[in-house]
Amino acid sequence: MDLNQSIRLLSSWIGQIGDLGLNLLWRFIHIVVSLWYIVSGIFEAIESYAISLGLNKKYSSIDLEKLRCLAVVVDIEAVQDVAKVVELLQWLTTIGVKQVGLFDSQGLLKKSKDLILETVPGSMLLEEIGKDFSPDGKRIALEFISSSDNKEAVMKAANILLQRYLKSSHPENDKGENFFTESHLNEALGVVGENVHVPDLLLVYGPIRSHLGFPAWRLRYTEIVHMGTLNYMRYGSLLKAIHKFTGVHQNYGT
Amino acid sequence: MLSLLCFLVSLLFLLLLPCLRPCFSAKGSLKDKKKIDEGTYVVGEEEPPKGLRRELMPRHVAVIMDGNRRWAKQAGLLTSQGYEAGAKRLIELAELCFKLGINTVSAFAFSTENWGRHKIEVKCLMYLFQRYLKSKIQFFQSKEIRVSVIGNLAKIPESLLGIITEIEDATKSYKKKHLILAIDYSGRFDILRACKSIVKKSEHGLIREKDVDETLFERELQTKCTEFPSPDLLIRTSGEQRISNFFLWQLAYTELFFSPVLWPDFDKDKLLDALASYQHRERRFGCQV
Repeated sequence: MDLNQSIRLLSSWIGQIGDLGLNLLWRFIHIVVSLWYIVSGIFEAIESYAISLGLNKKYSSIDLEKLRCLAVVVDIEAVQDVAKVVELLQWLTTIGVKQVGLFDSQGLLKKSKDLILETVPGSMLLEEIGKDFSPDGKRIALEFISSSDNKEAVMKAANILLQRYLKSSHPENDKGENFFTESHLNEALGVVGENVHVPDLLLVYGPIRSHLGFPAWRLRYTEIVHMGTLNYMRYGSLLKAIHKFTGVHQNYGT
Repeated sequence: MLSLLCFLVSLLFLLLLPCLRPCFSAKGSLKDKKKIDEGTYVVGEEEPPKGLRRELMPRHVAVIMDGNRRWAKQAGLLTSQGYEAGAKRLIELAELCFKLGINTVSAFAFSTENWGRHKIEVKCLMYLFQRYLKSKIQFFQSKEIRVSVIGNLAKIPESLLGIITEIEDATKSYKKKHLILAIDYSGRFDILRACKSIVKKSEHGLIREKDVDETLFERELQTKCTEFPSPDLLIRTSGEQRISNFFLWQLAYTELFFSPVLWPDFDKDKLLDALASYQHRERRFGCQV
């Protein structure tokens, strides 16, 4: 009996020691992984500063031919600090980006439109520029977009197409193939006031990796890059993201 | 400096915590398991791995299965073998998703733009879909997985259409697990199709012009076949960071996870990483919290 009890006690102790050991191992692995992320974060920050200071020759000149239109999605909380948005736009102007679409879901940036245009040198509203816009020097065309330009705009455009279809004289068995094409919807979106400039690159500033309701119709082949929060934005990271985009090759499904 | 301080504090905490843990933990964990068994554990479903919470699982996961051809090239295999490996991976991961409590899994199998590929490659893909779907009908029935196929479907071969109809009919009664395959799908075409559908309904007096709003429009999209048309999480593999005309309308507030791994190599661990990343995000759907 005593022997059985001793064996049971011993095996219980061994079990607990083993348990503790495995736990310590798990914690150790956790520490190693956390350390890895901290170190890689430090390296990223150093790289970003090196790029900002022009120490990395690779980023000293970027060919922006592929980047005709860039869009920036800003998280609702970051939008409160317009100064950060202005700083970002100034950086983009320095880099040489000519056209930027600024999006926030609630339309707060639209309300700060005048302030932004006033503060960003060389900036102007995209809608005030003609189709043959080819800015010289450090000029940048801005477009302010919100959620109302997404699904609501498509609804309104769909209604326009519906009204046109109903008013037209068409045979009964007509399925509307001649009224509902991409170009018709593009045109109807233009009537509604929704610009159909398709961004080549979309930068998302916020804690979430989502485009937060950016106009869906425009996003077909847009490259999407998550940049982290606006509060911790870095010039080097921005330059790196744009440079990486210029090297991207798209098959467009073929 | 702050991150270094946080690291030192967490290191100290992590080292000391096991020493404070009660020694009779074995008994305690048995009690917990019994509680779990009685309360929340459902027979046939997998316990989420450590770090994942069942209540934070997405309801709908969408995947863009990119990288099959590159994978085959790297492995020295034929492109068709790459596609086959991709198909197997999809079924494997879909099954895992369902076990973890995810209701809907949708996959971008073939886009409208893919018709531009070499004819032989396209023919091979269509044949693969046909063969694979036919061979999996019993599997889907045994696992009670509903299968739906969305897309234009106008150009796909009759034989494949027949298999699609067969598999949809055979599995339409299942509710808890839904696999959606997008074949010959285009996000823009989906939106246009919804417009046409609304026009037809309006002509027949089924809806009025003023009734056309976002909710009604969403019900006309091809994702109306599922209870959760908007994916909570989109995974795209092979390092490309775009949605390539997939679910344009539906992805407004979807968490986007871009993985550098090629699709056939995107295994269970990578999926769990994606789910962990999703669960750590604070989704606000465009509103302020």
